[in-house]
Amino acid sequence: MRKEASARFVAPSLLLMCLVTVYPVFYVLWLSLHRKHLTFGIEKFLGVENYIALAGDARFWNALKNTAYFTATSVSLELALGLGIALLMNRAFKLKGLMRAVVLIPWAVPTVVSARMWEWLYNTDFGILNYLLGTKVNWLGSTFWAMNAAVFMDVWKTTPFVAIILMAGLQTIPGELYQAARVDGAGPWAVFKNITLPLLKPVILVVLIFRTLDAFRVFDAIYVLTGGGPAQSTETLSIYAYKVLFQTLQFGYGSAISVMVFLLVGAISVFYIRLLSRGMR
Amino acid sequence: MKRAFFLLLCILVSAYSCKKTETPAPEKTTVVFKHGKIAGDPALFQELLDEFERQNPDIDLRDEALPASTDEQHQFYVINLEGKGPEFDVLSMDVIWVPEFARAGWLRDLSHLVPEPQREEFFPGPMQAVTYREKLWAVPWYIDAGLLYYRKDLLEKHGFEPPRTWAELISISKAITAKEPDTYGFIWQGKQYEGLVCNVLEYMWSNRGNVLREGRPVLASPENIEALGFMRDLIVRHKVTPELVTTAIEEPTRHIFGNGNAVFLRNWPYAWNIFEKEGSAIKGKVGVSVLPAFEGGEHAATLGGWQLGINRYSRNPEAAERLVRFLTSPSAQKTLALTIGYKPTRKSLYEDRELRAEQPFIAGLYDVFMHARPRPVSPYYMMMTQAMQPEFSAAISGMKTPEEALRDAQKELKRIMETAE
Repeated sequence: MRKEASARFVAPSLLLMCLVTVYPVFYVLWLSLHRKHLTFGIEKFLGVENYIALAGDARFWNALKNTAYFTATSVSLELALGLGIALLMNRAFKLKGLMRAVVLIPWAVPTVVSARMWEWLYNTDFGILNYLLGTKVNWLGSTFWAMNAAVFMDVWKTTPFVAIILMAGLQTIPGELYQAARVDGAGPWAVFKNITLPLLKPVILVVLIFRTLDAFRVFDAIYVLTGGGPAQSTETLSIYAYKVLFQTLQFGYGSAISVMVFLLVGAISVFYIRLLSRGMR
Repeated sequence: MKRAFFLLLCILVSAYSCKKTETPAPEKTTVVFKHGKIAGDPALFQELLDEFERQNPDIDLRDEALPASTDEQHQFYVINLEGKGPEFDVLSMDVIWVPEFARAGWLRDLSHLVPEPQREEFFPGPMQAVTYREKLWAVPWYIDAGLLYYRKDLLEKHGFEPPRTWAELISISKAITAKEPDTYGFIWQGKQYEGLVCNVLEYMWSNRGNVLREGRPVLASPENIEALGFMRDLIVRHKVTPELVTTAIEEPTRHIFGNGNAVFLRNWPYAWNIFEKEGSAIKGKVGVSVLPAFEGGEHAATLGGWQLGINRYSRNPEAAERLVRFLTSPSAQKTLALTIGYKPTRKSLYEDRELRAEQPFIAGLYDVFMHARPRPVSPYYMMMTQAMQPEFSAAISGMKTPEEALRDAQKELKRIMETAE
């Protein structure tokens, strides 16, 4: 009886979830098996042909490579820097509250705004970066620098988020543990390695899940900064999918790319969740 | 709580009844006009639309602006037209969409609106852009095209005439930059985006090259290879163009030239008003001309601008036609030019005394617009440009040789045309 009642309570939200997530996901899957092009009035069932085409699509592999590079470098840098900042901010010092608020500013700026801002900071002629370094590097114009410039921008923007979450994690570690360690004569590195890091592990994993998934789907920041150029060197999977879906309106092929992003993101999540549940035990 | 609810109900009811009384008398026909956000004062544009309603008391005109982003406008039209929606009657289209929409069967044939002899009154470029399979699918509303801005004062000071060939542009740039500190020679837009295609086409056309010939891609021709290679050479061999153009869109280049740091700039007509504004560093020092050409080639400018078409599923095509006729008439085009600076598509207006007195700049644009050419008039253009942009970018930034880039783009164009059918 009670079970039935609870099912009834859950039903509306379940239905809503089905409508807004399950249905679109399956629709995109279905679309990805078609050649569908609105302007040409084409709608044809292809089976897995789109996916076979993807396997041989150099632009897809290039986008995948760019996405992987962006994700790996930005997330690892953000984690390292964020951890350092969290440890610093966790100490008692004056203006601690103010400091925490100030650190969050980059995170609070809308991505599109900060990307436009960075575009000007990186400008060869007027950019403050070249001014400070006394150089004339064309940051966004070289295939090497453009992607790293995007990573740098992301690190600037997202490190505060990582730092704040990690700091919250640090505060859950009981102070007695540190006292006990000190009584036992442990140095700062030993304390960090044997107490802070293991106890922070679940929080670190949560941060990693959030950040990896976000970085893997990166769109707005890079789209505004470089539009995917020069010569495709910063085109990520999401940008490629956007161009195919919304600029050339090839819904079938674009959906196939989106499905690949979905599957990869799914795989990453499963990997992390496994890691997390093992850590909990 | 109860009272608040009652109040709300009252408001809703009165709002509803208000709306009801306001609906136009049934004999009025409604025409819905969709267009991108008006650049400039919307009130001035509204005045023109009010004038139309005064002249056509039987029509109730509803003017509905779309977002400023052209991608979003394109999506809106495609999704609604594909669904055969009659929700709007007149639509304003970017120059590259007309063949795409016409092929899909979403536009009404407007050949009768501008009969053969009257077509001469418009610039040839936009006329070509709205013609697909020998029929007219839209009427050119206002025009835009790439042009060369030059520093009149610097050219005079060093005794030069505006360049007519690319070789002249290089030698003038070299001579002037050698004597003027902190000045670049020639800047343009080379970021990977639609504007890059516009820039590259101007070099290809002025070297007798093209993208399509009789509907087939001919991108890897020797003329095109030479043209694209020349753009890279401007940066690395002749050193008259700074490396920074490979990431530049219109605005950064407009800033550099506007600050007085370049001799030549390729941009669109919009920049003129900004250069001539009170307090501008180069006010009164700027001249315009058609872009240079290669030896033996013809001057060329990439055509931009917007065209008015009628939705195939419109319920009031006759009233819609009246709006298109009105907005593309000489008098409306003149008003638009005077109020918000939209450049007329009708040639005769460039002789108009009042307009020339008000905007002396417009006289110099006639030659530019006469040379304006549409980007490949093809229903596949939106896909073609996606294939060309990265390859052009690779050549300009030196990642590929022009031959490699164009051969790869050519392959991609062929594939698009084969699979889209």
